[in-house]
Amino acid sequence: MNKLIETINLSYCYKAGTKEEVKALEDVNIAVWQGEIIAITGQNGSGKSTLARHFNGLLTPTTGSVLAGGMSTNLKENIREIRKIVGMVFQNPDNQLVSSIVEEDIAFGPENLGLPQTEIIERVEWALNTLKIEEHRREPLHNLSEGQKQQVAIAGVLAMKPDCIVLDEPTAHLDPRGRRDVLESIVRLNREEGITIVLLTHFMNEVIYCDRMIVMDQGSVKMQGTPHQIFCQSEHQKEQLHKMGLDYPVASQLAAGLKLEGFDIATDIIHTKELINSLCQLK
Amino acid sequence: MELTKNITLGVYLPGETIIHRLDPRTKIIAATILIVMLLLSRSYIAYAAVAFFIAMIIVISAIPMGYALRGLKPMLPVLLLMWIFQLFLFRDSDTLVLFNWWIFEATEAGLHMGNLIILRVLFLFTVTTLLTLTTSVVSLTDGLENLLNPLRKVGVPSQELVMTLVIALRFVMILAEELEKIIKAQMARGVAFDQGNFIQKTKKIFPVFLPLFVSAFKRAEELIIAMESRSYTGGKGRTKMKTLHISRADLTAAITILIFTGLMIYINIATEPFI
Repeated sequence: MNKLIETINLSYCYKAGTKEEVKALEDVNIAVWQGEIIAITGQNGSGKSTLARHFNGLLTPTTGSVLAGGMSTNLKENIREIRKIVGMVFQNPDNQLVSSIVEEDIAFGPENLGLPQTEIIERVEWALNTLKIEEHRREPLHNLSEGQKQQVAIAGVLAMKPDCIVLDEPTAHLDPRGRRDVLESIVRLNREEGITIVLLTHFMNEVIYCDRMIVMDQGSVKMQGTPHQIFCQSEHQKEQLHKMGLDYPVASQLAAGLKLEGFDIATDIIHTKELINSLCQLK
Repeated sequence: MELTKNITLGVYLPGETIIHRLDPRTKIIAATILIVMLLLSRSYIAYAAVAFFIAMIIVISAIPMGYALRGLKPMLPVLLLMWIFQLFLFRDSDTLVLFNWWIFEATEAGLHMGNLIILRVLFLFTVTTLLTLTTSVVSLTDGLENLLNPLRKVGVPSQELVMTLVIALRFVMILAEELEKIIKAQMARGVAFDQGNFIQKTKKIFPVFLPLFVSAFKRAEELIIAMESRSYTGGKGRTKMKTLHISRADLTAAITILIFTGLMIYINIATEPFI
């Protein structure tokens, strides 16, 4: 496996060089591996959005560097290529869709790439099918639910055939059903299409579907590892997570509670399935 | 306070009628011709002809008549005000005085001028609404871009201008929803928008528009970032999913418009202008 995105001693200040300088990222060294699905969590203001915006060159480091597909985002001439590799989906679907009609919005990205017409049509078709929104293709966006709009936004990025899609709290605005559908799509894109996913979220029940997670606080990376490693650690680490304003997945919380009551439950539970297995083994 | 219900400008009603399938360039040129004729016409018969022609388009494009005209409703108070102003303030030397009221004098010329302005605004609005109701934003853009393309040579950024227009149209609905939300939120906190005199009512409007503007700027910024990350760098180097082509229906439409233009010119020459 190779590194798709890598940050090297990345620091970033808003309004750098002025009196109101605000340090948003400090010495961040992380890597996103090809084909994985990785979560970046942290409370509001932890710097996760700022970090994500470095991945496709929307922001460039104050010091340090970011490599996407081996190219540095510091060089202006790389940006166009980098944005073909790393696509980005944002929180509010209404503020990222350009056209009022579903298929026409999906075509916006490929059109920007200057692709031939037949290829654009093919890609739009493929994106519609992959996200299972073919039946809405001619519909105006304001007729769709928020969840469906977010699927359209993902399809719009997918149609550019990126290696990696970065999603900045894509489910924060959605109702439970929309949230479930969008999460399913994201996981499916990773498993079936092999697209690397970077998911920014503060829902721990989404994090557990990820291969790895990064916990951020106050502009730097505090923890890194698989969800099991992060959630099933010592009391000290639990306290730290709590201090950073983060939850535990529901299954872990339930397992911990049962353990406290004296039940013989495994301590490395994050998925509902694992909890059920463990409960079934109780005598 | 149902703002979104009355908004028809910038909304597209998908359909498969002949009007929907016309090349956007045909529709834009036809709408332009209609508008020019509206501005030049000065007789009631001419306006009756325009009304008939527009009604035909509405029927053929299978848009519910009520829906097509609904957008006019919020404009009525303003139009009435304009009409009153014209009635009392328009001056012409040899005109009949209809009646006197206080220091004002209503003249026949003023009455006709008022009617003329109202008819013009109503029809202008209906024509543009019909254009957007039957043409999706993207094909509208493609058409406009294509028509404005010659201007690129003299340095007019036509593609960028058109993109701005597309986005403005897309946000009409979103901002109307937002305005409705703000108004409802303030009503919930005790603001009574329908009480007080004119000045008091006007004062209540400012606290509504301020948050709307702030949110519009925020949305604009987010949209820019999203467009940038989808590789938008202006019109240069873009290709299109849909290319435009002239069909038989466009020829029919062009001939219809030509005949109608001839008819309008004839009406305007043959009939007495009312002003």
